[in-house]
Amino acid sequence: MEKHKNFFTIRLDILVIAFLLLVGCRPQPNEPEIPGSIRLDFNLQWNGEDCAVGAVQTDHLGHPVRIDNLQMYIAPIEIRNERGEWLEINDVALLDFGVHGQKITAAADVGTYNAIRFGMGLPAEINTDIDPASYANDHPLSVPGSAGMFWTWSSGYVFVKYEGKFATESGEQLIEPLSYHCGTDASYRTVVFELEDVFAIESQELTAFTIDFNAAAALVGEQDAIDIVEDPVTHNAQGTVLGERLMDLMDDAWNLTRQ
Amino acid sequence: MMISKQLHTLIASLILISLTGCERCNPDSCDPPCDAIATPYALEIPPFFPPMDIPEDNPLTVEGVELGRLLFWEKSLSADGTMSCGSCHLPSAGFADPNQYSTGITGAQGVRNAMAIVNIGWSTSFFWDGRTTSLEEQILEPVSHPDEMALPWDEAVTRLQNAPNATTQIDYPSRFAHAFGPGDITAERTTQAIAQFLRTLISANSKFDQWRRGETTLADDEFAGYEMFLREGGDPEVTPGGQFGGDCFHCHSEAGLQFSDYLFRNNGLDSVFTPDPGLAGVTGNALDSGRFKTPTLRNVALSAPYMHDGRFQTLEEVIEHYNSGGVPSTTIDPFMKYNSGGLTLSAVQKGNLLAFLNTLTDTAFVSDPRFQDPH
Repeated sequence: MEKHKNFFTIRLDILVIAFLLLVGCRPQPNEPEIPGSIRLDFNLQWNGEDCAVGAVQTDHLGHPVRIDNLQMYIAPIEIRNERGEWLEINDVALLDFGVHGQKITAAADVGTYNAIRFGMGLPAEINTDIDPASYANDHPLSVPGSAGMFWTWSSGYVFVKYEGKFATESGEQLIEPLSYHCGTDASYRTVVFELEDVFAIESQELTAFTIDFNAAAALVGEQDAIDIVEDPVTHNAQGTVLGERLMDLMDDAWNLTRQ
Repeated sequence: MMISKQLHTLIASLILISLTGCERCNPDSCDPPCDAIATPYALEIPPFFPPMDIPEDNPLTVEGVELGRLLFWEKSLSADGTMSCGSCHLPSAGFADPNQYSTGITGAQGVRNAMAIVNIGWSTSFFWDGRTTSLEEQILEPVSHPDEMALPWDEAVTRLQNAPNATTQIDYPSRFAHAFGPGDITAERTTQAIAQFLRTLISANSKFDQWRRGETTLADDEFAGYEMFLREGGDPEVTPGGQFGGDCFHCHSEAGLQFSDYLFRNNGLDSVFTPDPGLAGVTGNALDSGRFKTPTLRNVALSAPYMHDGRFQTLEEVIEHYNSGGVPSTTIDPFMKYNSGGLTLSAVQKGNLLAFLNTLTDTAFVSDPRFQDPH
């Protein structure tokens, strides 16, 4: 009898567990929809051609130039729904074009969207008077995460580092320093992509875009042009205008395509 | 009845495994029992420092740190029993080597100056060329390197397993058992213990730290030097944004009070990079030629000589090098003012910079009894 009782108890346990497993997975009527995701693949170009950090290019004035280090903060990344609301999908990221295949993947609510935008640099509230040590080390604003991209507590973070070497004449050794460090709250820019075709985020589905950055367009655009021989250096934490000119040019250096 | 018999067999097996799993530990020397869980080590992170990332598979324990200290100073980890890790990382020299090149047990010398071990738990790469990315991995190299301690790891492990003996009085099997639980002494566990000890080598009580915490004041020349440290270098007429500063902070970042960004740069020492290409020797990328890891400035006044090859004996020489702007090359860092007349620092400014650097000396750290040779 005792044996039969134990057998019954075990069977009951199995039934209870099986029941819980079955009902536990059933979606509830008011349960929010599982979001989809969006991936942005960042790609470095020079005048429309894919290129790599460390490759020698020619600028708009014929100077041989080599970009050795190209990093920038983008914060935040947002998408706009059809009601005109901007929804943040990523708070802050550090792009390093020296590392191939820069990607940002983020969850996004199911819906239909018609624009993507991101801040180039850091919004004022996370730029100055911030202690990098207050972030976990895997955060892009932490001490190791911001290595080489932090000035001081008062001047904040470097938004964009565009560094390399150039030569004044073709055929010469590339030995002149090119060092553009852009930052300060006034240098913060917003890059907006208004999309002709809306895109949908489907539940548990990935939607991907390629965003090209034309490094040559950081030096020349419709409104401005920079001569790297005349202006090879800026640290605009000190308020030089060159940094803001660069940020304005870089604002127009992006192109987005749906994959 | 059958189930009950199987259950008894299982329980008996578990008891047997738990007992025999401790076979390497001599029960007479295990107090507390060797299968006791090691005591978590309460690592104190100083104010303004970032969190320290500690590998999940090597948490700090009291027993592990103490074992690591013994091993760091253990001369039987060298082939002839004359050298320990501490032989080239002297506390009095800020846990660096005061010699330009360290001399191994065979008399062979390397080509680089031994780096200072200080706040290394925050470092993101190791060696001047960054060829390892974990402290545990870094520690593997000097013991077996033929020009350093020259002891193959299997022999090192055998020596530790056979201790105490004529070469060491430490009961390492018991120590390892207390730190890591049952199991063999291995090279991995040895490096883990040393890494635990090294992560406790935290310097955060220099005059600068005390000033940063509001506990003291800096003298005028020290504060002026700090301001120099934080200013962009160069004449603004020549270098846009220049502030006639020392331009130190870009690489020796004060973020997290590390005084290094732990990145790799060519600071203009040479125009050719043979025989030592630096980071390029690891990556194979010519653009990394002449680039070496930025060392921390903590205890820099104690850790002469300077640069990856120890070519400068004094901080005055170091300051003069940066003041000159360095030697041009295709990979020299753009922070160096090699093509714009250097930093153009006056003698007073150089003196102020030196005064500031001296505020980074932490005598309490280098004389801390917890870090000294326990043998």
